[in-house]
Amino acid sequence: MQEREEAEELVTPGEVLGKGSQLKAGRGAYFLPQNGTVYASLTGRRSLIPPSPLSSDQRPTVEVTGHSAHGAIPEPGSIVIARVTKVMARMASADIMCVGPKSVREKFTGIIRQQDVRATEIDKVDMHSSFRPGDIVRALVLSLGDARAYFLSTAKNELGVVSAESAAGATMVPMSWTEMQCPLTGQIEQRKVAKVGGQA
Amino acid sequence: MEFVSPEGLRLDGRRPMEMRQIRGEIGAVAKADGSAFFEMGNTKVIAAVYGPREVENRSQQISDQALVRCEYTMANFSTGDRMRKPKGDRRSTEISLVIRQTMEACILTHLMPRSQIDIFVQVLQADGGTRSACINAATLALADAGIPMRDLVTSCSAGYLNSTPLLDLNYVEDSAGGPDVTVGILPKLDKVTLLQMDAKLPMDIFENVMQLAIEGCKAIANYIREVLLENTKQLEYRRGP
Repeated sequence: MQEREEAEELVTPGEVLGKGSQLKAGRGAYFLPQNGTVYASLTGRRSLIPPSPLSSDQRPTVEVTGHSAHGAIPEPGSIVIARVTKVMARMASADIMCVGPKSVREKFTGIIRQQDVRATEIDKVDMHSSFRPGDIVRALVLSLGDARAYFLSTAKNELGVVSAESAAGATMVPMSWTEMQCPLTGQIEQRKVAKVGGQA
Repeated sequence: MEFVSPEGLRLDGRRPMEMRQIRGEIGAVAKADGSAFFEMGNTKVIAAVYGPREVENRSQQISDQALVRCEYTMANFSTGDRMRKPKGDRRSTEISLVIRQTMEACILTHLMPRSQIDIFVQVLQADGGTRSACINAATLALADAGIPMRDLVTSCSAGYLNSTPLLDLNYVEDSAGGPDVTVGILPKLDKVTLLQMDAKLPMDIFENVMQLAIEGCKAIANYIREVLLENTKQLEYRRGP
């Protein structure tokens, strides 16, 4: 019995999902105006999303979720984990490695500008005291940015450097929101540290 | 030469309306975004799809749709005699263009502007109907890559020898010099995206032969759908609840 339910919901490209008058075509589906039918465009599971009560169009949206052959893609507003590659006078460049809990399949570049490092005193930010090449940072995607890179921001308490290596090569321990200490040498280095959990 | 015996059997023992045995497998090339292996009788082809990804050549970028590229090659060992130049020759270029146009008609390119989709098909063993096998393999690979399509594209060939329409010609029947009609359709939407023929046929016989090829395409479409559904169920099962 359960297998029959599954088979009902699995669709392949070109299969009819419903009438355009009753359903809206979401992701993985498309609407053909010539005969007013909604067809599937991906292989996957068909799902119905009820309409939001605020919208004027009260048709449910039909979506087909494939097995997502691609990795995650950064969207504005998503939290990403990135590794800092270059630190310059007014910005730092970073390679985005994970979007949310999923890792990305291909490389995305992000830029953290001087004004986006922290929320207060943004014109007095020293990039070298906030990030160093090789640091792992948690950042928020501000926008798609320009052709070269996404724009990232660490201007929140829980954003910033989560893991960094000291000059001696050991993983540093966070001490405050501006400092991290090397456990081997005791040297204190300046970073814009993220507030992880309830510590630091 | 007799291609259809008086009892109604062809050279390989098939009936005139019988297609060769088909087999399709998804995921033949692990590194590609989508890949498939397709067999029609002795013709074996492998297709790999990369994309959507960033356009390599900025000047070729299209601002409102995806760029579809296709390359058809035959392996050196695919035919009886070892081939000198398996790609770049006129036949390969023509078939590459044909496959590209066929697949481009069914991919929803407007959803992926400024990106590129590469389809690579390679014939491992050629025994007639390589064009059709390549299109079927490319469809499976595109569906595996999760690229949105209007419908599956399936293709089959048919010919006319000894006054009999024959479905799915093999190499011997193809080289007989009779007409060879290759049809590619979108089965659920019932639209033809590819129609090619060499040699000549009277109109009424052509209609019959084309209809026969379309029937073959629909049968392949059912099979391809089953392969896709089975593959999706397997992936879901492995991924867990």
